[in-house]
Amino acid sequence: MPLLGRAALVVVLGLVAYAAVAGAYAAFTGKRRLIESARNALYAALAAAGVASLVLLVAMGTRDLGFVYVADHTSKELPLRYALSAFWSGQEGSLLLWLLILLGMSCAAIALNGRLTRRVLPWTVPILGGIATFFAVLLVFVANPFATQAAPADGAGLNPSLQNPYMLAHPPLLYLGYVGLTIPFAFAMAALASKRTDERWIIATRRWTLAAWTFLGIAILLGAKWAYEEVGWGGWYAWDPVENAALMPWIVATAYLHSVMVQEKKDMLRVWNVILVAGAFALSLFGTFLTRSGILSSIHSFTESSIGPWFLGFITLVLAASIALIIWRLPLLRSRTRLESLVSREAAFLYNNLFLVAFALTVLWGVLYPILSDAVRGVTVTVGAPYYDFFAIAFGLPIVLLMGLGPLVAWRRASLRALGRAVAWPAAVALLAGVLLLLAGAGSSPAGLVGYTFAAFVLAAIVLEFARGTRARKATGSETWLGAFSGLVGRNRRRYGGYVVHAAIVLLMLGAIGIGAFSTTTEGDLAPGERMEVGAYTLTYRGMTETRGPNAVERRARIAVERDGKDLGVIEPGKNSYLAEQQVSNEVAIRSDPLRAEDLFLIADQFSGDDVFLKAIVNPLVNLIWLAGLVFLAGAAVAMWPDAREARRLARRFAAEDPALARA
Amino acid sequence: MIALSVAAVLAVFLVYTSFAGGSTPSVQPSELAGQSGTVQLGGMVVDDVTGDARGDGLRFSLKDRDGPGIVKVVYTGSVPDLFKPGREVMLKGKLDGDTFVAEPDSLVTKCPSKYAPDKGS
Repeated sequence: MPLLGRAALVVVLGLVAYAAVAGAYAAFTGKRRLIESARNALYAALAAAGVASLVLLVAMGTRDLGFVYVADHTSKELPLRYALSAFWSGQEGSLLLWLLILLGMSCAAIALNGRLTRRVLPWTVPILGGIATFFAVLLVFVANPFATQAAPADGAGLNPSLQNPYMLAHPPLLYLGYVGLTIPFAFAMAALASKRTDERWIIATRRWTLAAWTFLGIAILLGAKWAYEEVGWGGWYAWDPVENAALMPWIVATAYLHSVMVQEKKDMLRVWNVILVAGAFALSLFGTFLTRSGILSSIHSFTESSIGPWFLGFITLVLAASIALIIWRLPLLRSRTRLESLVSREAAFLYNNLFLVAFALTVLWGVLYPILSDAVRGVTVTVGAPYYDFFAIAFGLPIVLLMGLGPLVAWRRASLRALGRAVAWPAAVALLAGVLLLLAGAGSSPAGLVGYTFAAFVLAAIVLEFARGTRARKATGSETWLGAFSGLVGRNRRRYGGYVVHAAIVLLMLGAIGIGAFSTTTEGDLAPGERMEVGAYTLTYRGMTETRGPNAVERRARIAVERDGKDLGVIEPGKNSYLAEQQVSNEVAIRSDPLRAEDLFLIADQFSGDDVFLKAIVNPLVNLIWLAGLVFLAGAAVAMWPDAREARRLARRFAAEDPALARA
Repeated sequence: MIALSVAAVLAVFLVYTSFAGGSTPSVQPSELAGQSGTVQLGGMVVDDVTGDARGDGLRFSLKDRDGPGIVKVVYTGSVPDLFKPGREVMLKGKLDGDTFVAEPDSLVTKCPSKYAPDKGS
């Protein structure tokens, strides 16, 4: 079996290398049959990578401890679903998963975009093949997932904190996001190489970019939820380099999703868009490098490994090649239109882009500074949460404000008076909300208060946009309100899906400010029968229990919860001692209040005798963060939903330039 | 226009980093001598952990990852699951006499085994 897996990987390497080299030669010379052959090599590589993955998956499922990788990441007592998820818990498996997803997405993107980007595709194939070659080389020569050994008595087991349902979904979604950003990158570079720098590559990859960005966003939130429940320090995002590694490409992709609309509408920002696509891809590689190379003294620093230099080399190569290609094609990328006014929709997009990219760069600087300082000055430093918090507020608040303003500003040029009229209602709502919150005592955090006011402004602006659009359609003949509404959204999916995503970001912000600025903590030592107050809650310690779970000894503190004199039942924070892994893990207890969106968060920090040292936190509005994830998903789905009308319009538009499309 | 905005953003950034500092020096026990302010101390926990992190303080010693330095540490606050002799940990705090006094709740363990098995122990 291991031999089969390894052989499959070698076959993958051969095929993708062929796709890269022969594909590039074919694209250069325009040899049609060779172009097709390179493309078919990618399809075959996908099948071979599937075989390799299946071999590893079966080995994980059957706990074949003869595989070093299986023995290192599973144990006989580990439940099956976690044994299977251990596939991506180590470096070798992660790289294999990356390669598999990359090939799957490549093949799908190539197969589905044959018509629109016929002239670009010959170059897309070798670029994707080249990227796949890098991962295949790593798997064959550096990080072999199929290494064998004499089977030990039992495996090392899976880190207890990873034995969590969120960890079943988080890593694959993260990879779908990271890898998904490869597709727009490959098409962008292929467009440059083939001199087809019009917006067709953007249209062809629009949904791919949206999908990758959605996966990445959901993955980040699932990771946050996991950290909130499993790591259990009472927060959800800690600006750890590994978290930032996923955040940076997401922010840059967000900027790109906005700026492409300017290119499609006004034919501006061509160079900028290509730079953003290359930047997002490079950051997704950099993210993998950060998590997998062990370069950072992060609390996550996974493992010291040999793949670091490879990744660094590959990122350098990607950046150098992208920059060279962009400079080489600069004459083709000159925009024919210029910004007409600083008060216009395109200007608002531009500001939004500047703030987003500035934020991504400050995060990048925070991640890199410790490494650079160590290398250049020989002084090791750490950059802490205050640095990131400062910039999240300094750049985040203007971005949120723009989220409300942007949709209200007209394209080309808007008069300040018209803008004032459009803004009047949302601004009034925001002021009212601000005053009410101030009276309710939210003034304890000025930044939080400003944030909530801005949030009210954006939400009001979004509601207004939906209301206006629906009313306009109703006036022009739709019979029912519901019909007018669905027609409005259906005809402008990206726009109204985008507004829903904006609403999700506002929800996220409400929750983040709630937990960041307005949470309360109480801690103390409790003997059985003793009580403790936190916020509006009264907690009574009823004693300790100890049970033997499937693979751990579970110790729990029974805490009776009351709020405003009302009995809310018993919850049980505690600690698990895992047997095979010989580790202790904190199991926090969370009681969510769906109406208030508030959490009571209990940590049994230390057991001594019958006493427990309890840390109790009340996190107001924190559940809006998770709700934001669902709304985000819904908005993204609306924006991505296939639109036959749009497809026909595009076909007509490009038919004139390309007769082959007319037949389609 | 773009140049101006970029300049403005850069200015905000520089103002922040020059005034607020934004970063804490990160040192090993042997490098602790010359530091006067608050630092991030990283090292390996040595045997003999005594005291109570929820009482008058958890007491232990930290030594360099690969060097001769060693320092006594006193710490209060929550103790991460992975804390034990032999592990690498990081704390924030100040040297007071011959003891490093850590800020409450600043202890984090650096787990080499987050995703990969810890072959050493």
